[in-house]
Amino acid sequence: MTTEGLTPDETDELARRARDGDRGALETLLSAVRPRTLNVCRGVLPHSSDAEDACQEALLNVATKIGQWGGRGRFTTWLHVVAVNSARTTYRRLKNQAVATDTPQLERPDPRTTSVIAGTRLDLLEAMETIEREHPQLVEPLLLRDVYGMSYEEIAQQVGAPLGTIKAQIHHGRKLVRPLLRGTP
Amino acid sequence: MRNPARHTLSVLACAGALVLTGCSGDAEPAPGAAPSEPVTPEAAPDYDVALSEPVEDSVYPDVGDPSVDALHYDLDLTWDPDARVLTGEQELTFRATTTGDTFQLDLGEPLEVTEVTFDGETVDFEHVGKDLVVTAPVTADERYVLGVDYAGTPEAVPAPTMRGDFSDTGFTITDTGETWTMQEPFGAYTWYAVNDQPADKALYDVELSVPSPWVGVANGELTDRDDEDGVTTTTWHLAEPAASYLTTVAFGDFEMTEDVSPSGVPITYWVQPDAPAHVMPGLRTTPAAIAWLEEKLGPYPFDTFGTVVVDSDSGMETQTMVTLGDTDYTTSPAVVLHELAHQWYGDTVTPDDWRDVWMNEGMAMYLQGMWQADQDRRPVDAVMDEWARFEDEERALAGPPADYDPQSFGSGNIYYGPALMWHELRQRIGDDEFFRIMRAWPEERTNTNAGRDDYLPWLEEQTGRELSAFFDAWLLGKRTPPRG
Repeated sequence: MTTEGLTPDETDELARRARDGDRGALETLLSAVRPRTLNVCRGVLPHSSDAEDACQEALLNVATKIGQWGGRGRFTTWLHVVAVNSARTTYRRLKNQAVATDTPQLERPDPRTTSVIAGTRLDLLEAMETIEREHPQLVEPLLLRDVYGMSYEEIAQQVGAPLGTIKAQIHHGRKLVRPLLRGTP
Repeated sequence: MRNPARHTLSVLACAGALVLTGCSGDAEPAPGAAPSEPVTPEAAPDYDVALSEPVEDSVYPDVGDPSVDALHYDLDLTWDPDARVLTGEQELTFRATTTGDTFQLDLGEPLEVTEVTFDGETVDFEHVGKDLVVTAPVTADERYVLGVDYAGTPEAVPAPTMRGDFSDTGFTITDTGETWTMQEPFGAYTWYAVNDQPADKALYDVELSVPSPWVGVANGELTDRDDEDGVTTTTWHLAEPAASYLTTVAFGDFEMTEDVSPSGVPITYWVQPDAPAHVMPGLRTTPAAIAWLEEKLGPYPFDTFGTVVVDSDSGMETQTMVTLGDTDYTTSPAVVLHELAHQWYGDTVTPDDWRDVWMNEGMAMYLQGMWQADQDRRPVDAVMDEWARFEDEERALAGPPADYDPQSFGSGNIYYGPALMWHELRQRIGDDEFFRIMRAWPEERTNTNAGRDDYLPWLEEQTGRELSAFFDAWLLGKRTPPRG
């Protein structure tokens, strides 16, 4: 297979032009990052149509909020954060709709096919909702680490906090999340 | 498969000895259930070159099943672009690898199976999800013919990747009814019943029918084409075994253009008339790319070469018939060269497990880097220095090249790090030794599978050096090792 068409530097350059108001660059950027965005959403939402919804929302967010990308880290890192957050928003909306119409709960993934990454587990998303109420600052580092699999250094750069703080937050977050997960004693 | 000759002997010995003693002690034929009409080695076409040692994949264990060693796929596929229905009649000649009452292949859920036959007799089957489980008694090392008739609208499947150029693999249908497929690390099962794991190479004969003037394109040599009663039928013969991720099929309004390499390899380009203007000039760099690679790697390993250009944003080294998206980038000379390099590194010798995809991409990328340096008239070190700037990042994102995150298949980590590793090795052992070894590997492993357990000791033997710490650092390290 060929390498991806854009190197990380080229993607960043395209994103900088898009951020600075180049419409053509924004369009090229959105189409170039769509598959990646969809796959990040699929990692969070196991059902294909939910992931598609989340992907649409994420791309809309990229288009409207690209000015918020500080250029601190890679554009794709920022994109992944936007995608994970869009997937969570979509999940929340779906859950509210499900409750409002009294339809059955979102189907849980078959444990045999559940991926080894925590990202395809709805119980993890649900746990995030729970800890967010008391400890909102723990959610993003934990998601980036355990759903997206980002390194501590990258997370520190992304969140703009010292490495030690990030490690402590993730450690603390995991302790809170663990009892909320399925299949843990 | 290291030694096809050994397999041949054991199959022949087995066929002869079966009645008297059973085979190698563990293959007791069930009383009264002797397999119906096993194909005798004398009468069978010579499929021994396709004997493999199928395995369960360590990265994607849900796809493929080592109970079957596919030898030859005979596929008769008809595409109806209006109804969007693919109708398949398949005959698979295979070797059972174990003795049992059932065996299993992969076949996409949307394809409805109408009949399954086993050595000509209708048999029971279950098609649950993508698993096609056939109920028929098989004896280890015996050969059988499985018939599968199916029809439906194939659906591509989500791919375990974070790449920007695709999110699904397998049979893909455009808005206007053309079809194409790219299917690494899996997805061949979206259009035929297959052991969809790379350790199981097989031979292929494919017949494709579609309303004229559209035409079907597949791997290998075009042996016949016929336009009759408004239907175009093409037949394709693949003379050397291929892994399932290296097969391709495309239906569309393709026009064929012939070309030839300086060394005489016949080439065909399959391009739709409305393809962008940059496509043909890109493809026309193929003869020069073959010449450049043959100088480095020895003769092109197959009899024919071709390229089919489709509505994709990626490019795939499908064996003898490369599949390229129609973008500027995917038809650029660099990508043409990259996919050609895979014919040596990836196609004639193929990883037996997806954990070793770096064996393909590392060398293809290094060759691409050397070629790029030639084009730009600058030292290859300059290209390597550029890549090294972000190599650490690729590892952080997707894991070490030979121990990558299964959800990040095909990220930059399997390309750039191993390419840098080859450059380091070259500096350690010198150009003459490096180029000799680079050429020897695909020559010595023609038409086989191999993994790191074979490759790394071979490299140590060839170089006469102890390299385990070097390989560990480059292939399994979390950071880019220090460069020389």
